[in-house]
Amino acid sequence: MDLALTKDQEMIQKSSREFFKKECPYEKTRQVKVTAPGYDKKMWKKMVNLGYLGIIFPEQYGGSDGEFIELTLLMEEVGRAIAPSPFFSTMQCGLPILTYGSEEQKEVYLPGIAEKGDTWSLAHSEQSGGYRISDIQLKAVSDGDGFVLNGVKLFVPYASTSSRLLVSARTSTNNISVFMVDPKTEGIRIETMPTIARDDRGEVSFVNVRVPKSNILGDIDNGDIIIDTIIQQSSVLKAAEMYGGARAAFNLTVNYTKERKQFNRKLASFQVVQHRLVNLLTDIDGLKYLVYKAAWSIATQNPDRILNSAAKIKANSVHTDVCRQGMYLHGAIGWTEEMDIGLYHLQTRAMNFDGGGSDLHREQIACELEKQTPLFKQVLTCS
Amino acid sequence: MEFGFGEKETLFKDEIREFVRENIPVKKYWIMLDEGETDEDWAFIMSISKKLAKKKWLTLSWPKEYGGLGVSHIQKMVFEEEVGYWGIPGTTMGISGTGWVGPSLMIFGSDEQKKTYLPPIAAGDEDGVWCTGYSEPDSGSDLASMQTYAERVGDEYIINGQKVWTSCAHHSRWMWLAARTDRNCQKKHDGISLFLVDMQSDGLKVNPLKNFVGHHLFNEVFFDEVKIPARNLVGTENRGWAQLMTALSFERGMAIGASGMMRRLIDELVEYVKGTGQIHDPLVRFRLADLVMEVEKLSLLGREAVWKVERGDIVIHEPSRDKAFVDELLDRLTQFGVEVLEGYSQMDPLRKDDRWTRLRGMIEQTYYFAIGMSIAGGTTDTQRNIVANFGLQLPRS
Repeated sequence: MDLALTKDQEMIQKSSREFFKKECPYEKTRQVKVTAPGYDKKMWKKMVNLGYLGIIFPEQYGGSDGEFIELTLLMEEVGRAIAPSPFFSTMQCGLPILTYGSEEQKEVYLPGIAEKGDTWSLAHSEQSGGYRISDIQLKAVSDGDGFVLNGVKLFVPYASTSSRLLVSARTSTNNISVFMVDPKTEGIRIETMPTIARDDRGEVSFVNVRVPKSNILGDIDNGDIIIDTIIQQSSVLKAAEMYGGARAAFNLTVNYTKERKQFNRKLASFQVVQHRLVNLLTDIDGLKYLVYKAAWSIATQNPDRILNSAAKIKANSVHTDVCRQGMYLHGAIGWTEEMDIGLYHLQTRAMNFDGGGSDLHREQIACELEKQTPLFKQVLTCS
Repeated sequence: MEFGFGEKETLFKDEIREFVRENIPVKKYWIMLDEGETDEDWAFIMSISKKLAKKKWLTLSWPKEYGGLGVSHIQKMVFEEEVGYWGIPGTTMGISGTGWVGPSLMIFGSDEQKKTYLPPIAAGDEDGVWCTGYSEPDSGSDLASMQTYAERVGDEYIINGQKVWTSCAHHSRWMWLAARTDRNCQKKHDGISLFLVDMQSDGLKVNPLKNFVGHHLFNEVFFDEVKIPARNLVGTENRGWAQLMTALSFERGMAIGASGMMRRLIDELVEYVKGTGQIHDPLVRFRLADLVMEVEKLSLLGREAVWKVERGDIVIHEPSRDKAFVDELLDRLTQFGVEVLEGYSQMDPLRKDDRWTRLRGMIEQTYYFAIGMSIAGGTTDTQRNIVANFGLQLPRS
């Protein structure tokens, strides 16, 4: 056991922290979030040039063959700086292509992401507003050499400028398949939803949209497993982003309480304030290692479903707690648009949604517990 | 970044589990407090201490010259995790012995003290059982205000005063005592010294205190003109506070053992609700999932602190951060446990074998025990003060 980052990991952390700090000061975040596409395309180009988009893809697909931990560290820095971009959504789609795509699919799509900066959006959630696979109603009906898609996807991130959509669809009553779809295909209509994070979430309607069979990701009717993998991996990536954000929002708050005086004393000298901060610190430190351990488990090909879900549950609660309590500790000024802490809070709901909400992940942990034989039974019965 | 254990640690884990299978009748003894609740329990605890000593597991991390194995902090951590999970009793030599008396003596003790006092601890002898005299009736969280006085007279110190909440004093051969040696110092912290006190000294009286459940775990200890040789002073006179802080930081590094114990409680509760069918209750599932997540978090925080020590960092606030979290989480976990047991949680935890007692009383026992734990070794809020001052560098309140 050695919890230190490797030299390479440290370098990625350091350089990306500097990059996002320079490219994405809070002022710029405020500006780019006002109108579609909701992010700075020049920054996106630079991210592509730095190799961020291909960090985890093998070299043959234009990547640099990095590990999942490195991608996790990048997400952490995105969260710290609140750097708006389709990075998360593109990785959320790129990773399952890498895992489940045919050789041809990988050759076509992965270099597009890594080298050209194609942006991808996961079109999965529907009317229920959640990530549960059982909620999928969008229909894909076989027709000749392809499928015809009908239905509506909601909360599709950065939808209006997306190069490609990854769409979950019901191919029969009990089966799901995942399609890679060009958003310019006839029959697709995208309307931007007025979300508070200003992250260009789209309502994407499919009316008799024809998609060739070759655009099914991996095997037909294998969508349950693919979507499950997406949830498993992207919950950890989103949790990393939330960890970075929570740490930054916490630091803003600590610094503020060290400056601000009332009753001729610094706020940070009041025990009631200190204990709030200490409890938040404990949670943030804990979240860090939940995220890192989950990422390490994935990187070492031994993914741990309980850890993946634990990281996301903790991230959902800690990020929200830090934002709300942090804002509270700023006093009335914290509630104004002038202060930066609010920028973090505006993201809490989108971040809770991405990769699955807390209740979905609690249920996943409970299912695992149900299946497991506890250690004490294993050890004590084999004697 | 590597969260896994090496071959050495993995094999060691297996060896510990083998020891558990051979020596600990789990049905009867989980969870046993290290003070022992009955004479029979205490005898069992000491018998396990002896067996642990034979394997040198009592003093795993002590250097070889003091009868230890000199293992890494990481391997020691593996041991503590297993001790917590399996409820292995007898690892502490009266709670204080292996935990902080030994390690503190190695730092601050004289050669003669090391030679005299370390071997019986390492050997698991009755003579190596130690209690700790810190708290007094008027000195709890404000420990530095202690009034028990040790006066230097010739080659002796004469001690007068009272200690309280002294765990295991009724079994101990020795006391690790903090007492005032200077009443006129400007800062109350500056006049305190540490002593090694023979519990069989004339004028020393141990008076049992029962906790509210009826367990005899701690005691009052009275000192009436107790004479001890001057060579039983530890380190430098009036510098005891700094030494005591070092000792306390050993005491607070208990997140690992606690996380092992809580994992066991969760495992037992999961099996229990599978048996009763409560596993299908969404509220039970919801709360179990959260608790599993929190216990994992605790374990990782504890590991972070151990890893920092292993690589040579000085950890100051981390043990306090983790102790405060242990307190909070144990409360939550046992609250859940008793609610799951519903009516059965009313059973007396001392009646482990009663036909109506569920899970051998471990839930109820921990439920009542948690409050005491949150006070022992520095209250939850005192720990938070330490984290605020030393971890976040917030100004003193």
